[in-house]
Amino acid sequence: MSVETRQSLPTFRMPAGFNGLLPALVLIVLFFVVPVLALLLRSVTEPEPGLQNYATLLGDGTYARVFFNTFLVASVVTIVTVLVAFPVAWMLAIMPSALASIVFGIIILSMWTNLLTRTYAWMVLLQRTGVINRTLMAIGVIDQPLPLINNLTGVTIGMVYIMLPFMILPLVGTLRAIDPMTLRAAALCGASPFQAFHRILLPLSLPGIAAGGLMVFVMSLGYFVTPALLGGTSNMMLAEMIAQMIQSLLNWGLGSAAAFILLVVTMALYALQLRLVGARRMSGGA
Amino acid sequence: MLLDYDRMGWLKIALLGFTALVAGFLLLPVVFIVLLSFGSSRWLAFPPPGWTLKWYQELFADPAWLDAALTSARIATMTAILSVVIGLLASFALVRGRFAGREILRGLLLTPMVLPVVVFAIAIYAFFLRLGLGGTTIGFVVAHTVLALPFAIIPIATALEGFDKSIEDAAIVCGASPLEARLRITLPSIRIGIFSAAIFSFLASWDEVVVAIFMASPSLQTLPVKIWGSLRSDLSPVIAAASSLLVGLTLALMVVTALLQRKVRT
Repeated sequence: MSVETRQSLPTFRMPAGFNGLLPALVLIVLFFVVPVLALLLRSVTEPEPGLQNYATLLGDGTYARVFFNTFLVASVVTIVTVLVAFPVAWMLAIMPSALASIVFGIIILSMWTNLLTRTYAWMVLLQRTGVINRTLMAIGVIDQPLPLINNLTGVTIGMVYIMLPFMILPLVGTLRAIDPMTLRAAALCGASPFQAFHRILLPLSLPGIAAGGLMVFVMSLGYFVTPALLGGTSNMMLAEMIAQMIQSLLNWGLGSAAAFILLVVTMALYALQLRLVGARRMSGGA
Repeated sequence: MLLDYDRMGWLKIALLGFTALVAGFLLLPVVFIVLLSFGSSRWLAFPPPGWTLKWYQELFADPAWLDAALTSARIATMTAILSVVIGLLASFALVRGRFAGREILRGLLLTPMVLPVVVFAIAIYAFFLRLGLGGTTIGFVVAHTVLALPFAIIPIATALEGFDKSIEDAAIVCGASPLEARLRITLPSIRIGIFSAAIFSFLASWDEVVVAIFMASPSLQTLPVKIWGSLRSDLSPVIAAASSLLVGLTLALMVVTALLQRKVRT
């Protein structure tokens, strides 16, 4: 009888080549998916079941200010990063390779240098009596030291610094994929350099700008270290607030609700970015 | 002529000037910190009134710094080994496997790279508190491996996609066992991907601050936690000395990577 049952059951076989994924899946499910879901659960069960944590976060002016700050800084950082990165990526795409490799070397060095090291440098540079204020005063641009740290200005400078490599490097790829002949053709047909720029070069690099910009925006939204060290206590950003709610206030319910809002926004934007990159691939890019 | 380097005229001069400025901006903090670490002013005056090695002496005299560096090195090494092994197995499945939901699973494995670290940090912190793994080496290694795994999978999977599988098949036809063919033909061919995976996942752990801040205990501190703590109390030049050593390490890693790439090309 037992033989019959065994035969009647559909034999379960692992799909071809699947086994290699098992260790990775066990790791991610057990130590990533489960803890994150447990956190979500906490946000609707502590201190008592219900959505009151979310109501508090979305209804209170103090928290609204943190959300506003976070979006403001992320937007400004993204815009500045795109504006600064584009010309650099443009040059890197067409520069003689010996020169380009020097600039690439500097970009990699900055990107690989320990995050805290770079932030520490900015903390010292941006101080009231720091090198930047002293230099500006010495050459007579300002009379009083500018407040460059412990506010959103400091956070923005530090974040742009960290995000630039993430914008420049992919943009170089986008710009290199553009056929220079299209621009030569535009010039032959009588387009001015300005027309060639805003009707050909810019539209063709737009997918790269959008994808990179979105990535910078998403990364900035959830950034913790730089805002915590360069920002002030009165202008907190979201990640910092979450850490504080958990670490100092031990308010797990509110902290996990805020974390979950951050998670949802990030994942939605990430999905949008995947669609953008996917669309670029389909439209015949490299 | 906007993509024609030799025919851009004044625009090229302007853009090159801008590029030089940005390169200077990117280099500024790195160079500054190294200069600062040799400056004699405790109050970080710049340019320094004199030059000294005393911050390095202070750094090496304090066993807490060395301890933290060794802890970081130990955790990062274990993380790198674990991520490369798990990532290698997963990459073979993701690149060569034929099963439904492959793309979704790939997305799932790469999610820790895009989720804000602070969310993962408090989630794993709460989870490990319950399991009693908070503040342990195993806890650190597991959490860092979750974060480092995407950085291992991406370069290995990319290298594997570029590798012609028929060479491995040829080895099997010539009498190698499938395992032998993978170990002796495929792995050496994708070694640059594996090496990048090792460096990236090592750095992902070595530089990791946020999870570490939550997980650290007084008896188990990684280097970033030690720097974080010092940064929050004062901006002592000792941090500049420690930071300069980290810059040196980064430069060394860059040189090794560049040399290896050159060796592969020739």
